[in-house]
Formats: sequence, C-alpha cells, structure tokens
Amino acid sequence: MPVQSFPDYFDPVETASRAWLDQFQEGAIAAISAHAYASAPLIREVWDAAKIKPGDIKSMKDFLEKAPIIDKDDVRRFRDANGDPSGGMSRSIPGETVSIGTTSGTTGDPTPVPNWVTGGSEQAYARDTWHMGLRPGDHLLHMLFTFRGGHRRRHYAQHGITEVSFSIGPDEVARAVEGALRYRPTIWSMTSTPVLLMLEHYFETHDVDPVDVFSSFKGAIFGGEPLSGRLLKLTQSWGFQMFETTSLGEVSGATECKMHDGFHAYDDMTFIETVDPVTREPIADGLPGELVTTTLHDRLTPLVRYGTGDLAVIDRSPCGCGRNHARFKVMGRTTDQILIDGRSILPREIMGLIEGHSETRASLFQIIRSAREMDILRLRIGYDAARLQCSLDALRDRLHGVIAEAIGVPLHVELIDEQELLKLGPPHKIPRVTKQ
Amino acid sequence: MSMAGDRPDVVGSYNIAGKTSFYAARYDEIDRQAICTARILRSFGFAPGSMVLVVSMVQEIVQFGTFEKGVQILGMYGINAENSPFDAGRVEAICRQFSPVATCGVGTATLEGLKSFGHDPATVFKGSVVWARPEAYAAVAALDGVEARRIVLLGPAVALECHHGGLHYDNRDWTLTTQDGTLRLSSRMPRVEPLDGLDTRVAGTVSPLPCSCGAKDAIITLAD
Repeated sequence: MPVQSFPDYFDPVETASRAWLDQFQEGAIAAISAHAYASAPLIREVWDAAKIKPGDIKSMKDFLEKAPIIDKDDVRRFRDANGDPSGGMSRSIPGETVSIGTTSGTTGDPTPVPNWVTGGSEQAYARDTWHMGLRPGDHLLHMLFTFRGGHRRRHYAQHGITEVSFSIGPDEVARAVEGALRYRPTIWSMTSTPVLLMLEHYFETHDVDPVDVFSSFKGAIFGGEPLSGRLLKLTQSWGFQMFETTSLGEVSGATECKMHDGFHAYDDMTFIETVDPVTREPIADGLPGELVTTTLHDRLTPLVRYGTGDLAVIDRSPCGCGRNHARFKVMGRTTDQILIDGRSILPREIMGLIEGHSETRASLFQIIRSAREMDILRLRIGYDAARLQCSLDALRDRLHGVIAEAIGVPLHVELIDEQELLKLGPPHKIPRVTKQ
Repeated sequence: MSMAGDRPDVVGSYNIAGKTSFYAARYDEIDRQAICTARILRSFGFAPGSMVLVVSMVQEIVQFGTFEKGVQILGMYGINAENSPFDAGRVEAICRQFSPVATCGVGTATLEGLKSFGHDPATVFKGSVVWARPEAYAAVAALDGVEARRIVLLGPAVALECHHGGLHYDNRDWTLTTQDGTLRLSSRMPRVEPLDGLDTRVAGTVSPLPCSCGAKDAIITLAD
C-alpha cells in the first residue's frame, strides 16, 4: 500500500484567489440573507422595519447599502420582549441541529447556539491546527469546557487525530502535563490566562522541565482575552508557541497563522467589515472601526451584519502564510473603552502595567466604568495574598505610581483578594469592565 | 493488540476511589452503546425536540459521549454545563430558560454551586428528571417535585436508571461480575483498550431478573 503524503493546506479553499473569494461572497451573501430573513425572527423584524426584503440584495453593494446592522443590544431586547433565549437569532432545524451549545455567559445569561454536526469554529480550527502542523496519527490535547459543544464533536477523529481530553482546573492541568509526557501531543487547544498561570504554578512547585513537556507541541491556541506580554515571554521560555484566537460574532472563531499578523476570518465562512461605532457608516480596510460579521454558512444561527463591539482593523491583502482570506487585528471592545480628559483607555493597556508586580502577576483587574467619559480612572486590582511581601497600602501606592505615570490621568486604585475577583466570572475570565 | 486496531479517537478518563486514569476509546465504541442509552431514555416517554441538560466534564467523554449520542438518536437536543460549582449558574440559567425535561450527571459540586449562587435546587429542577451521581443522589431524591434517578460511573462504563427504577448497564459491551462485594468490569466487544476485571469499587450485584421497563439491558442491584 502506498504511503500517503498530506497537502500543506487542510482545505483547498484556503488558497483561493482574492477574486474567487470576492465572487463567492457575492453569491453567499444573498443566499444567507434570504435564509436569515426566513429563519431568524430578529432579522425579519429589523429588515421589515427598514423596509428591506431579501430580494433587494442582489450584490455585495446592495448588501452594504441596505442590510441593517444589529448588535447585542438588539438580541437582548428581542429576547426580553419575546421570551426567546436566542434573541431571535437561532433556530433549531430538525435533522440539522445536533445539540445546543451556549456562549460563555461572562456578562449575563448564556446565549444558546445550536450546533450543526460540525460547527463553524470547528471547521476553522481544523484548518488552523493543520496549518500549525497537526497531521493524521497525531494527538491533540483538548482542554475546554463542555458548554462549547459537549461530547458531540467528532471532526478531529474523522481526520485521524486522537483527542486527549481535559477540563480546566489545577488538578487537570497537572494531569495534562502527565498526558503531554505520555501521549506527546502536537497541539494544545485551548489555553487561556488562567491555564497558563496554573501551568506556571505547577512548574514552580514540581521538578518537571517545561521545555521537555512542550517539546512535542507545534502550537497552542490561546483565547479568552489578549495574551499578555509576561505570559508570552513565559511561554516562549518553555518553547511553547501561542496562536491567539478570538470569537467572530459569538458563533465562530478566528485564529492567528504562523505570521502572527492578525486573526484569519475565513472568507468562505464569514464576511467581515468595519463601520463607525456611532454612525454605522462604512470604514475602509486599514482603518479602525467596529467589526461587523455576517456568517456565510451557519444556517442555525444566521447572524447577518452583527456588530461585534470589537474595535478592529481589517487587512485583505495576501498573507505570508499563503492565504488570501481577510485578517483583522483587535484593539479592544467599544463597550470597554473609556475617555478621561479625552484620553482613550482600554483594558489591554492596563494589563501590562499590573502583571509586572509579583503580587498581581495574574493581572486580574477591573475598570469601574460608570460612563464612557469619566473624570477619573477607577481600577479594582486583585492581589495574591500568598505573594504579598509588603503592606496593602504599600502595594497600592506602588501600583498607583506605575499606572498613573504610564496612563497620565487621575487614578483611584482599589485592592481586593484575587480569589474574590475570580468569583465574578466563569473560570476562564472575569469581566474586565464593570459598572460598579 | 485489540481487534479494533491501535489508534484511539479520544482519550478520556475515569476516576475510581479518587484515582484518575486515562482511558482510550474509539467513537464507534462510544456510539454503539448509545442504543442501550436510547432504550433506557425511551422508558420516560420524552418527546422528540425536548431538551436534555448534560452536567459533565470534558474528560468524561467516554461515559457522557454515549449518553449524548442516545439523546440525539431519539431526536432530542443535548445542552451542556460543567459539573463544577463555578458553572452552576449556567445550570440554573439553562433550566430557567429552556425547561429541560431531564438533567443528567448532577453531583454535589453543582448542588453546592447552586446554593452558593442563591438558587434553590428544588426550584431549578422542578418538574424534571434528574440523574444524580451517587454522592448527590440522596439530596436530589429529597427535592420536592423532582424525579430523582441514579447515574453510576463504573470506570469507563455507565449505569443509568430507567423510569421503572432499574439501574441498567450495556451488557452487550460490558461484563460485570461481583468479587469481594464490588463490581468488576470487563469488556466483551472489540475495544482499543480492553479491560479485564477492573475493580469499580462500586458495591453491588447484577440482577438475574429483567426490568419491567421493556429494555433488555441488564440491571444492577447496589449494596446498601
């Protein structure tokens, strides 16, 4: 029997030309618009209010000029008004819906997301991990929550990959190290700030060499929030390459390639654009604006022109990885942004200033945002009581000095035991911005 | 080498008496047992399209993957939450929003988490079937308006109570014998990781009698 060699790209569409992708999107956008109007009550409501019918969308130009933009507030309003947990965005289709997933629920009730046999994010991650070097016969270390699809997933197995499964927690991280040494996986999917902090603590307290543990890995997917500078350096010292990922309008994902130059939004699965966050007027590629996504394939949650709330810059030029699909860089969330004396501040700017201190190296903090424009920056910062080497007043003064100097606005710092902060959110992240 | 070949699709785990062990399986092994699960689920008469909440951990794929597949076979929709105090809020939100006909896998972690978030488990699960893990069964059975049933993990195998109270396991896939008072698990179908006499530390015996629910799968009598 001949030995099979495998192609460089998981799916031929990954190397499609820009012209082919543009032409594909022209057709797909009209098709999903018609399906969404027929299937998603919220889309029908807002399109009817705008006096738009699917037949009015014959081209991408029509779509961009006519299709209304929706956002999370529209979904919540519809949910509350109609008692529909999906906010009028999802529809279970007998024969197509396999199970129901839910969003993380960081900021409220989790939103249901019906699962097809292979979801959009799974199809995207299959391409991403193949690009990182995963091949049939390899092991993938799978560390995630069950609410992202439960035990339904089969796609890695269908391509000859063995998943080694773990949940997220200190004991499981220790078992994952054992599993890494035993099965020598190629990919870790996924890591997050808490997982890396657990790994850091594990290696500090065990006589195990992280370089050996991660020697078989060709990459790890990192998500939940931006990877901090300290954790990037830490993982680099382990020889553990991180590929950041982010959500695309709640129902799909976008991940970096080896060029680490933005998240790839696969253009056969999603159409992305940017608009002015206030006026909703189009923003040209290359300039910052609110990221708006339209699924081109998800019939169960047909999000059409969904304003993600992320501030992003889109680049549709060819990528060094060989793909012509759009990329984008995220600067932060529009709802997280605050203005103090006209100075824009986003959480990721604060992160690096806090994690450099031993007591606050986990960088668990919240911005207290009572309004978009405020007179003073109020921060609630979590500290690790076990690492406290000075008084709380001294720690507060030290943090205040560093942050005030870097940000240059009036500042109030409140310290809190980080274990209390961790109770505020799901185990993988806490709300970085809170009203009180 | 097993009959199924060497390459597993997934490596999950099982916990016996506090010790967690890796366990490798193929999806055909997981999915074929779902026929037994579906037979047990049918005894409740759930309607197609109903929602069933599965409370489990990712590493329990070998045990709960079978349950989820059984839910799918009957045209119902599985929805998931973690068996941890942190995710109890999701359990409450799912039950409040979707009114699942059943919840499978509730442990003390979920019950304690619900209470810490200020939720009464009796209100959360009211009017539904709840398969409770052994350590949580007594507490769930005491909840007003909840039909408590048992789920018992026997290493990588699962025993699930039907509507008639029979604690069934898939005796086409597994053999259970009693030795020194505890159930020993052996595989009897092709498996990537065959087992021979694994001590589950679960005290009980296999009943020689059939269950009145109509499912042919053997039932276990747990020791007090």
